[in-house]
Amino acid sequence: MQSLLKILLRYSNFLVFIALEVAAFLLISLNNAAPRSSLLSTANEVVAWQHEVVSTVNSYFSLRHQNDLLAAENADLRNQICAMDSAENGYALHYVDAKVVQMTTDELHNYITINRGSKDGVMRGQGVRNSEGVVGIVRTVGRNYSVVLPVINTRMNLSCRFAKNDYIGTLQWDGKDSRFASLADVAAHMVVNTGDTIVTSGLSPVFPEGVPVGIVESSQLKEGDSYYTIRVRLHTNFKRLKYVEVVQNAHQTEMEELTNGMD
Amino acid sequence: MEWTRQIGRYIIVMVLQVLLFNRLQMGGLCHPYIYVMCLLMMPITLSHSADMLIGALVGLAMDVCCNSLGIHMAGCILLMFIRPYLIGVVVNDKDRLNEQISLRSIGFEALVKYVVILVILHHLTVFLLGAWSLSHIHFVLMETAVSSLITILLIIGYNAILYK
Repeated sequence: MQSLLKILLRYSNFLVFIALEVAAFLLISLNNAAPRSSLLSTANEVVAWQHEVVSTVNSYFSLRHQNDLLAAENADLRNQICAMDSAENGYALHYVDAKVVQMTTDELHNYITINRGSKDGVMRGQGVRNSEGVVGIVRTVGRNYSVVLPVINTRMNLSCRFAKNDYIGTLQWDGKDSRFASLADVAAHMVVNTGDTIVTSGLSPVFPEGVPVGIVESSQLKEGDSYYTIRVRLHTNFKRLKYVEVVQNAHQTEMEELTNGMD
Repeated sequence: MEWTRQIGRYIIVMVLQVLLFNRLQMGGLCHPYIYVMCLLMMPITLSHSADMLIGALVGLAMDVCCNSLGIHMAGCILLMFIRPYLIGVVVNDKDRLNEQISLRSIGFEALVKYVVILVILHHLTVFLLGAWSLSHIHFVLMETAVSSLITILLIIGYNAILYK
């Protein structure tokens, strides 16, 4: 017994090292598998507040560009009102505007923090877009802030379709360039042209159908492959992202419960 | 007094790290983590276990700021584990280890060896765990090389200016 204690004491530093590393790896695997805690991420009030202060100062430097975007968006919204008057689209959608307080664009796992949280009705799984196109999906919700998983994260899979013929594909990101993503699962019998428009498929309740995603930059069909390699130029300029909208679908919970009930 | 200085440096470096260096988005390869400077320069007066615990807390604080739960923590614990052994190997004059580790206390050659080895080790751990697979290995190695170089230059530069 005494010799066991001696050994434990002798290697106590190494044991502390192992214990701490095990704790770290547990946190990593938790973070990779399940929804992250809002306290231990940038949805954390203190960290997000700091970022918000800095981005408030930063935002003055891009006012001109933001004004252009807002003007364009206003025009777009007016068009949508006209379209809605003529045809009821069947979705019960509500948009919540949000400001980006922190984001990365050139890591493998990029995240965006926005200044809207559960008190504004934001929930995990809601879509996020801006006037240019899709941005991502809400992953973690704090009271005042949320973390969004953008399409430029290697963990993201987004169901999309060609605007011209409704053919479905999956949008993925290779971790290299925030301007481009790739479209997988497009079979060889499809005719893909450079410049084809890609929009959201509307197959999941996250985004309504037809939110702009990007255009085909190049497509390649290697000898013997049954699927295309398609490079998509994203409409959303992530490097200058400042304002986004969270898409809240009144039927989302019901639709998800139905789908989950099928398993 | 010594620890007030260490904590003061930690706060300043963390603010710089989170608000400046984490926001530099230069081509995807450059992510210098200068906050490790606080760990590297801590004096060796506490016990080895206490050092590792401090490393874990500093890493965890960084993880909260970068949405990378556990990754910086693992890197910092490893760094703090290796540190006293490395000091034993690279530092010849061991009289001044009770003050902070700087250019003044251990000399240029020892400082360069010490900083280079620990920074590369920390950055490699962080980027490897961040990728969580070996399929991006060439990218991870490039990222480690570029980011470590910047971090090492900044830490040695800081020492050269303040602790000549």
